[in-house]
Amino acid sequence: MTATPTPPLSPPPAAMADPAAGPLAEARRLVEDRSLDTVRAWKAAHPGALAIGHLPIYVPRPLLEAMDCLPVALFGGGDQVDIIRGDSYFQSYICHLPRSTVELALAGDLDALDGVLFPAICDVVRNLGGMWKLLFPDRYSSYLDLPQNLDPALGGRFYADELRRITRELVARGATPLAERALAAAIARENARRDALFALDALRRRQPWRVPASEAYLVARAGAALPAADHRALLQAYLNAALQRAVHRYDNVRVVVTGAFCEQPPLELIRTLELAGCDIVDDDFQLGWRYLEGPIPTGAGADGIEVLARAYLDLGTATASRYIGEEEKGAALVRRVRRAGAEGVIFAAASFCDPALLDQPMLEAALGAAGIPFTSLKFSENTGQLQVIREQAGAFSDAVKLWGSAA
Amino acid sequence: MSDGTRLLTAGIDPGASAVKVAVVASDGGDAAEVRATAVERIRRRGVREVATRAFEQACAAAGVEPAQLAYVASTGDGDAVAFRTGHFYSMTTHGRGALFLDPDARAVLDIGALHARGIRVDERGRVLGHRMTSQCASGTGQFLENIARYLGVPLDDVGALSLAATSPEKVSGICAVLAETDVINMVSRGITTPDILKGIHQSIAGRLVLLLRSIGAQGVVVLTGGLARDPGMVAALRELAEAERARRADTALDIRAHPDSMLAGAIGAALLGAYRHRQLERAGRVERVA
Repeated sequence: MTATPTPPLSPPPAAMADPAAGPLAEARRLVEDRSLDTVRAWKAAHPGALAIGHLPIYVPRPLLEAMDCLPVALFGGGDQVDIIRGDSYFQSYICHLPRSTVELALAGDLDALDGVLFPAICDVVRNLGGMWKLLFPDRYSSYLDLPQNLDPALGGRFYADELRRITRELVARGATPLAERALAAAIARENARRDALFALDALRRRQPWRVPASEAYLVARAGAALPAADHRALLQAYLNAALQRAVHRYDNVRVVVTGAFCEQPPLELIRTLELAGCDIVDDDFQLGWRYLEGPIPTGAGADGIEVLARAYLDLGTATASRYIGEEEKGAALVRRVRRAGAEGVIFAAASFCDPALLDQPMLEAALGAAGIPFTSLKFSENTGQLQVIREQAGAFSDAVKLWGSAA
Repeated sequence: MSDGTRLLTAGIDPGASAVKVAVVASDGGDAAEVRATAVERIRRRGVREVATRAFEQACAAAGVEPAQLAYVASTGDGDAVAFRTGHFYSMTTHGRGALFLDPDARAVLDIGALHARGIRVDERGRVLGHRMTSQCASGTGQFLENIARYLGVPLDDVGALSLAATSPEKVSGICAVLAETDVINMVSRGITTPDILKGIHQSIAGRLVLLLRSIGAQGVVVLTGGLARDPGMVAALRELAEAERARRADTALDIRAHPDSMLAGAIGAALLGAYRHRQLERAGRVERVA
């Protein structure tokens, strides 16, 4: 007989004294800081410096840091905000994120921000940017038009000009004028943060029982209002602690979750997928952190803005808001599944998220051709009833585990 | 580990009101024997503690050390079983468990404390379709437990009293809240307890048969979950299925209960654990869950 597993009888050691408890508590505190108290504290410590919010998916945060601004990623109100006023600004058949963002702003929860950037994701976020200008005419806001033409001579030039425009506008609002050395240093800090995130992802792929996706999500999200260096320190602290954990390994199904790159699922939904027997070994939650698939190249004498523009063109990941060939996106998803050693894919898109839902049939076709089982579900950031999702994820997990198929 | 060529596995099924455990010896396929079972009511205790205790009881009754088990499978509230090897979803385990209890089963009606679920299975126990009652609790054990409490009837007596009904009183077929109001009215009108309980059973049965029809169930339906032990519930379901037979002979339902119906989830989990262990063994991946 082959050696067989010997399950310990009492709760696994990890539940007794978790060395990651400290970093996780700090991450939770930061994530639950709805009124941006940490941003206020940062501003008090940096008199005159600007805090600039930005919507998902991608904004070049090093550019803001180089101008002594604090970039603050905005992910909506999650499941903690009752939408009352926000609903009156948008039609019912769009996603939840803009409503809760407006709700937070009208409630004064975003008052610590000196400005907001609205990167090109979809029409809804473009409309939110317009609504913002009407609601808060005295505050800085700008639509950041990310290029869809990836030719450096066209899209690259356009994007670099966009970044220079934003730089000028922020300087006019009191930001420190951009200096090449400062931008190079900010890019280096961003690359270091990225290295820590990718190390965390790599550990999650190797030993998902050591780094549950719900925890990885929390420590990534905690960086929303942190300078890159502080976020890196938190990520590193969690990573070191996770490596020291005594763990109990479960016979779970390895899955990739995709489609939740903009509006975020409630943490409980991620937990629900895990409890249904899934190890989430790759995902596109909070995609901005990993939007660039490699470090931003740095080199002596390089124009930092050109470097950022080129990184967006060359290293940008295949995602719904990037208009590249359908085959390319499907192939990229299959590569992610293979790299992660995943056995299946869960499409988890926000309700009414056109970019995700329009891409999904093509991605499903690519998975079908590659023989990779998949299932799909929809959520909104305040989804509270998870029974149906639990049912669906459980059925999928069992089918993949026992029969090697999606049904 | 194994018992000869057979694997010893355990299934643990923490539900809303009780934890059920089964220790099974099997070859990883159909040949299997239940070595021991345990059922422990939760009664406001921590479910993790109850699950551990019930597991220890079942292991002791089977004469095995936990370390001898090749796979400890949880189902239901798997989070309560931190020492599990793996988890299977309850519809999969109830389907497998029902097939073990009655090899003719082609559908399962799992009636637990908080939900009822219809599951259609093939001859291997593989789930072909399923549907669960919505958030409304009117088709579940909790609802019946509430009614029993209003009437001052011990839960264990509900079935026998219902079987003694002579003129069942019809109650709301839609809503548990309305049904509870109906019951209060019935009591004030002097309707007997057996007739009230039978009316409740018939109301639940009507809803559950609709649930079964919605997943295309036909043939043998095995009842699982706590309400499968209620003879009044079983009788009401059988009577309704019989009444339907005349007009739906080709898709008639044959409602069956088994003395171990309540343990179907735990038994199914243990059997699937053995199947999974063999699968991992063949793939050389047993260490994956070690």
